[in-house]
Amino acid sequence: MIEIIQYGIYTSIQDMGRFNYQSYGVPVSGALDQRAYRIANQILNNSLTSAVLEFTIKGPKIRFHQNTFIALTGAKMKAKLNGVEVDYYAPIKVNEGSILEIGIIQNGCRTYLAVCGGIKTEKILESRSQFKGVTINDRIFKKTLLPIDNPIFNPSKGARMISPSQDYSQMELEVYTGPEFYKLSKIEKENLFSTLFTISKFNNRMAVRLKEKFKNEMSEIWTAPVIPGIVQCTSDGSLIILMRDAQVTGGYPRILQLNNSSLNLLSQKNTEDKIRFKLLSRID
Amino acid sequence: MSRRIFRTVPLHKKAFLVEWEQKPSDKLLEIILSFKSAIDKDYKVSRTVMGYQSLLIHMKEEIQDMSLWNEYLNELQIKIQPKIIDKGKIWKIPVCYDNIFAPDLIPLAKSLKIEVEELIQIHSETKYRVYFIGFLPGFLYLNGLDKRLHFPRKKNPQLKVPKGAIGIGGKQTGVYPNESPGGWHLIGKTPISLFDAKQKKPCFASPGDWVSFEPIDKRKYHELKRKIQKDNFKMLPNQ
Repeated sequence: MIEIIQYGIYTSIQDMGRFNYQSYGVPVSGALDQRAYRIANQILNNSLTSAVLEFTIKGPKIRFHQNTFIALTGAKMKAKLNGVEVDYYAPIKVNEGSILEIGIIQNGCRTYLAVCGGIKTEKILESRSQFKGVTINDRIFKKTLLPIDNPIFNPSKGARMISPSQDYSQMELEVYTGPEFYKLSKIEKENLFSTLFTISKFNNRMAVRLKEKFKNEMSEIWTAPVIPGIVQCTSDGSLIILMRDAQVTGGYPRILQLNNSSLNLLSQKNTEDKIRFKLLSRID
Repeated sequence: MSRRIFRTVPLHKKAFLVEWEQKPSDKLLEIILSFKSAIDKDYKVSRTVMGYQSLLIHMKEEIQDMSLWNEYLNELQIKIQPKIIDKGKIWKIPVCYDNIFAPDLIPLAKSLKIEVEELIQIHSETKYRVYFIGFLPGFLYLNGLDKRLHFPRKKNPQLKVPKGAIGIGGKQTGVYPNESPGGWHLIGKTPISLFDAKQKKPCFASPGDWVSFEPIDKRKYHELKRKIQKDNFKMLPNQ
């Protein structure tokens, strides 16, 4: 067991996601930065679908009720195990009774904590990812005990990552054209790719809304399927980038689609960060 | 060969959309359902998601050659068009239209200039078609709200609409499957769960099915609620 003593700003259990239920209206969910999530599990030789904790902006305080190994990846938040600072992107041995204290972000936005064998809360619809309405809560917001697997990790066999950390300051998000892109005028298209956009304070696991208005003449569409990474534009010019907890259908025109690595990068951006769209010539 | 009535739009390496140009209708719904049932059987397909005019196809592997898919869909169009089929199941959802569950019923009837009883009668006697599920887990997009009950949504959405609330907004009616914010006028409440995450098939209704609302009184509402809490109730379709 591990015990969440203080829960940080937004701490939730996430895994690869819940894939087979979108036709029932259930979002994909899962770790927003799938790259950092995957590496955290690789470091501990976990299964690639093991559940981890995702921290946003500020991490929790955790007490370990058993021996285990952990790995931290993603955004750097100052992390102290029993008062001693620990490394990211490396396996860390943790003894029963230890306290891990995670501070505030120094770069990026979201940090992942994997434990050996993964967090073993109940799977609902084939996933442990928290999403309100499917799981009871969407995050951990009180003292909570979480079951974890027994450690079977041999650090000498751990997959050491060569150059795992990533530059989150990069501003370019790579996109493909979306289903309604063709309806934009030439000038609208030029504006879309020349504007330096700012991330507004309306950014969470569902969507990231941009500050600058994007003038357009688009009308709403008949409600249609959407997926994480789609960029919608509203008639008042708001651009909304859908994240992994987004609804499965939407009525706003879908003008762009982020590729996976850009979706991961965007999940490490904060309010007031700048981004620019870079159009990829084709899907490859 | 008949004219192609859809387009395909790749979204990323493992997903593409099929989008039809015609307006939503029962006929289009049945065309999409026919495509869906054929495509769902393809071993390369992981899952599909419906909208009013579209079908999203997620693949298990990266798409190598989109032109093969286009050819296959052209063939499907020819094969499928002549036989429009699936009648769908009929579900009767019990609804208590009592004022305690229907804060907006009287003001809405006033705005629509009809009697409350008439509003309930029109709302409950209509058969609605399930077009697809979206917005929230278990939210059914229902088609067929009587024109006399069309009314714009509230200007300021309510922060908390309770689970099971029945609403009218614009040209639509529907059931809130879970507590959520919402801008519809609330005219009743069902004790039934539209979404149950513990079930392998978490919604009883599927696209193409029919839904109607069966008025029940408070006593019946609470009786059903108790049965559901004791796990002693299962929704069954009408024959």
